[in-house]
Amino acid sequence: MRKKSATLLLAALAVLALCLPAGAGAAEAPKRIVALTPFAANTLAKLNKVPVAIGETLGGNERFSPKLRNVRVLPLSHPNGPNLEQLAALDPDLVFSSKTWAKGNQAMEELGIDVVLHDPRSIAGALADTFKIGAIVGRRQYARGLVKSMRVQIAKARKGIAKRPKVMLILGVGRTPFTFLPNSWGGDIVAKAGGDLLTGGVTSNSGFERISDEVVVAENPDVIIAVPHANADDIPSLTDYLQDNPAWSSTNAARNGRIYVSVDNSLLQAGTDIARTIRKVRSAYLKN
Amino acid sequence: MARRTLVLAALLVALAAATIASLALGAVKVPLADTLDILFGSGGSASDRQIIEVLRLPRTVEALIVGAALGVAGAVLQGALGNPLASPDVIGVTGGAGFGAILVIIAFPGSIALLPASALFFGLLAATLVFLFAWTGRNRGGTTKVILAGIAMLSLFTAGTTGLLAAFPERAPSAIFFIAGGLTSSGWRELETVWPYFAVGFLFALALVRPLDRLALGDDVAASLGSKPQAIRLGAGVAAALLAAASAAIAGLLGFLGLVVPHVVRMAGGTSSHTFVIPASAIGGAALLAAGDTLARTLRAPIEMPVGPFMVLLGVPLFLWLLRRAI
Repeated sequence: MRKKSATLLLAALAVLALCLPAGAGAAEAPKRIVALTPFAANTLAKLNKVPVAIGETLGGNERFSPKLRNVRVLPLSHPNGPNLEQLAALDPDLVFSSKTWAKGNQAMEELGIDVVLHDPRSIAGALADTFKIGAIVGRRQYARGLVKSMRVQIAKARKGIAKRPKVMLILGVGRTPFTFLPNSWGGDIVAKAGGDLLTGGVTSNSGFERISDEVVVAENPDVIIAVPHANADDIPSLTDYLQDNPAWSSTNAARNGRIYVSVDNSLLQAGTDIARTIRKVRSAYLKN
Repeated sequence: MARRTLVLAALLVALAAATIASLALGAVKVPLADTLDILFGSGGSASDRQIIEVLRLPRTVEALIVGAALGVAGAVLQGALGNPLASPDVIGVTGGAGFGAILVIIAFPGSIALLPASALFFGLLAATLVFLFAWTGRNRGGTTKVILAGIAMLSLFTAGTTGLLAAFPERAPSAIFFIAGGLTSSGWRELETVWPYFAVGFLFALALVRPLDRLALGDDVAASLGSKPQAIRLGAGVAAALLAAASAAIAGLLGFLGLVVPHVVRMAGGTSSHTFVIPASAIGGAALLAAGDTLARTLRAPIEMPVGPFMVLLGVPLFLWLLRRAI
């Protein structure tokens, strides 16, 4: 009798399972997503999961996927992120944010919005985060394929590195620029593009430090790339200003006219266009 | 008299020590013998010569000039306004220079080469507006009026600076070193631009030594001795404005130095005579800034830190110790 009941129960469960729609039982994928970082926004676009809004990015919108062209852009402020009233009006289930907007993230959570932080500072981190984002939005398979294709493209972009010039990558303008360290997005990109990053042996959790010009003279970089928060129109005057810096005048970079200014944010903020950025760094700056 | 001589001698020793340390120490180790050889025109590798001649020497000279200028600016203003809290902040120079610099860094990064000129222009503009308001209308040239006009101007320009930083938060890191105060390794370039302002400011201050001593006796007594109190105050304001604005153009906002150094030398020397206070403030300010800058660039070398906090760390204990003994 007991055996018969158990068999009937199993049969009933099997019928029920067949009647349920595929995927039920797993956590429901979020429908209304806001992506504040360019990395998360482009990853979602590549996963065919277009967000309802994206965050305003530094250095223009060139790097955004065409699929995001008509998506609403939210202005961002530090450390609050988007205007909370504007964000709440969008009624999002999930916000992809960054540590940069720590104060705003807390406020978003208090509004009952799920907040996930994905703003990688390395290529390996970007690949891992691509997969994680795919899993969160229910596009695990797409994400797996995307990561695979990104790996292939990155490998192609790095192929045939002939020279490894010594590179100093600096952030900002003013008389006291900060140097990118290997644990920053730009630092990792330059290193993967074949640059030997000048750091003076300094490490920092932030990924940036102000390094003495004495070290710059002593280590003598072949290439200096400046990433100011400026516009394309400013490139000639900024290049002249950096070229005239007496502290750097004796470096190979200054003597050979290899001081460059990069005004888009490809070295500043992570993106999905990793292979393209590596290729650009190699051809435009490192020439290797 | 012996006490003053002793204090002056101690300040000169501190100045010599700070200067030698500033030239000899840095992120890259250059032996002292090589440093001396390079300074006297021989020896050293190409990179060591570059480090000493292009980086350390101009920076040390800048530290000495800016430190002296801020010390003198504070001494002259405190004497002219008869107010112990007077400093370049009070005549709006610091606020104006800060706004001028941040305006270029934040809003016009492509014109970054204009930073010293902009800091100088807005610093002097702020001081001019203060003088204009203080020397027109009722009670013109009065101490309270100068101070209140200065505080109003400081608030106005500080609000402008804060507004710029809030409008472009991602660009704020570039402005931190200017706000916190710090010398940079920009060779002689900046000094070449602003040296006339330092020269005129120092000459004005020198000319004011005796008139300020007369003013210290009170406006009526000074007037009976043939001095013009309002003209002395205006002259002191102009001298301080030139010195402080030129200093801000080179080293950012270092208001603390102008406030504290004159007090320290006054308390240490046991006199308020400007014949002593002004030169002693110049030597003390120069020594303090050179020492603070050496600490800022060597303590966590090769990382460079802003000099402002180091000057406070060096100056405040001495100031508090003297304050405890004096009052």
